[in-house]
Amino acid sequence: MKDIELLAPAGDLERLKIAYLYGADAVYCAGKKYGLRANANNFTLEELKEAVEVAHSFHKKIYVTVNIIFHEKEIAGIDEYLQNLDAIGVDAVIASDILVIKKVQELGLNLQVHVSTQASILNSEAGLFYKSLGATRLVLAREANLKDIQDIKAKTGLELECFIHGAMCTSFSGRCVLSNYCTNRDANRGGCAQICRWTFTLDDKKDVFSMTPKDLNLIEYIKDMMQVGVNSFKVEGRMRGIYYIATVILTYRKIIDQIKANNLRESDINYYLDILNRCANRESTPQFVNKLPSKDEQYFLGRQELSNQDFLGIVLSYDKEKEIVILEQRNYFKVGDIVEFFGPDLETFSYQIDEIWNENDEQIEIANHPRMIVKLKIKTILKKYDMMRIKVFDKQDYL
Amino acid sequence: MKTNKYLIVVTSNDLLEMKVKNTNFLFPMKGYCVGFSKTFLLSEINVSNAYLYINRILDKESILELKKELSNLNKNIIGLCFTDLGILSLVKELELSLKLIYMQHHCTTNATSINYYLDYMDSVLISTDITKEEIMFILDHSKKPLVVPYFSLVDVMYSRRTLLTNYNQHFGYENENEAILHEEISNQEFMALENEYGTVLYTKKFVDYREINHENILFRFINPFGLTKEKLESLLKGEEVEVLKYTGFLNQETYYLLKEDK
Repeated sequence: MKDIELLAPAGDLERLKIAYLYGADAVYCAGKKYGLRANANNFTLEELKEAVEVAHSFHKKIYVTVNIIFHEKEIAGIDEYLQNLDAIGVDAVIASDILVIKKVQELGLNLQVHVSTQASILNSEAGLFYKSLGATRLVLAREANLKDIQDIKAKTGLELECFIHGAMCTSFSGRCVLSNYCTNRDANRGGCAQICRWTFTLDDKKDVFSMTPKDLNLIEYIKDMMQVGVNSFKVEGRMRGIYYIATVILTYRKIIDQIKANNLRESDINYYLDILNRCANRESTPQFVNKLPSKDEQYFLGRQELSNQDFLGIVLSYDKEKEIVILEQRNYFKVGDIVEFFGPDLETFSYQIDEIWNENDEQIEIANHPRMIVKLKIKTILKKYDMMRIKVFDKQDYL
Repeated sequence: MKTNKYLIVVTSNDLLEMKVKNTNFLFPMKGYCVGFSKTFLLSEINVSNAYLYINRILDKESILELKKELSNLNKNIIGLCFTDLGILSLVKELELSLKLIYMQHHCTTNATSINYYLDYMDSVLISTDITKEEIMFILDHSKKPLVVPYFSLVDVMYSRRTLLTNYNQHFGYENENEAILHEEISNQEFMALENEYGTVLYTKKFVDYREINHENILFRFINPFGLTKEKLESLLKGEEVEVLKYTGFLNQETYYLLKEDK
């Protein structure tokens, strides 16, 4: 269990830093081209260079997705792009098109190649094919169960990466072009319009047809996955915000560390499950790892997403002498609210808000302006990037 | 010389009665295919020069079972069309002498990638996700003859989930493994076919690529699901058939950056 990696998504530099701070061992992100989230912010080459510097300053790793399926017009420039990624010190590229895998070898680059989940690897024979091409890691299809994973590990000896949390496609990833046909947006070049989250009519039936899957959540199977040989535990969500990244990564960090220390209890899992489910906007299930998903692992009314406003503020600084924390507000809160603070090096604690000051040191009753600067008096020492959220669950209740 | 050889998926037994020259039949293998209502045991494949079709993404247990079945392959089967690259290792291990054709056509969209794939196999099916210009470029630059779509329903989505069963169970309908789905905004229709290994969505219209012609074609691929034997025969004689059809993306490039949104 030594070489276990928690792998986080990052849509920009802020989220990348948050991911590392909250416990990720590695982060994956995309450049402006060649990634499957073409319409996300993504990173310029300069930003990728800075991201690599940040990653390596934390002694952590950074992977860049180059996982589109190439049409002719995208090929010009790929050699130079891969050479640039290599030159700035990116640790690996995540690729699905054989073109990228071969180019890395032919150009003699130091980049490792991780085969994307888009390649739908579900058996060791497919894994061996990619191994023969020079791949060092396989990101398995989300449809893989524990037996598949164990067999692939045993027969390929490659590093294995599995998604453990977040949204998932209805289809095998990479095997769907519904978006192309319904919107003319190419799913396999980063333009997916998520048609599987739309509704359809089916024959002449009165009930709408939906195929939207619930999200993936493998919290209860992390230990099993470690035992069958998974090296990297991957969280989906390059479009997600800092609160989601912080909450999910910190939770899995604790789970992995507690498994390694052999002190993860049932009560901990139940508590963590509630934390994770609360910060997501859809229900989640283990999906394929233990059985084939049935009607209970999907929605039948199309997109069903809840807005979450638990994230109240992020710590900008803390004055030890005055015991004052300065926060940037993210959602409405007021005097009398019971909240909690959490952070990478912080034992989560509850706090009742008795007084609030604005940045001019005027006492106020409510913090209701987006991103306003507020001050609270707190004895516990806080650090930049710690976060404040609504208190919903109390760990004591789970014991 | 331009080819007129066809590779036709056997979607019903009566297709085998057709008297057409230059045709090889492609048999969906029972237990290893999705998206077909008719599949074949190896013992049921008796025609000469047959090709076997395996289009599932295979899990550990399935590939072990498949290995046993392929080790007793009859000599009349001369080729294997597949979508799971694990098949390559299996064929090599079993030392099978088969023409290998890769049919994961959503990733055969450029000549460079296709030529890399051709180091490991005999041919690939060119994607229906690209334009005519791109297809012609690929045919110009491919180092081996390729399979091109000719007149087919196109599989646009493959899920491991039993989506029709789930829907019918949820709403209490009698189970059916075939249905037409209609998406209102785009006004697109898809045909859904399900078996125990998953669900495939096809275009409801036939994608008509008959205008593609080139010297570097190994086969013209036809999935005649939904076509009667008579209509297929007419089609092969070069006659027009009355079915819903269109030219897909031949003359319409897809995009992926929203700033390109019109």
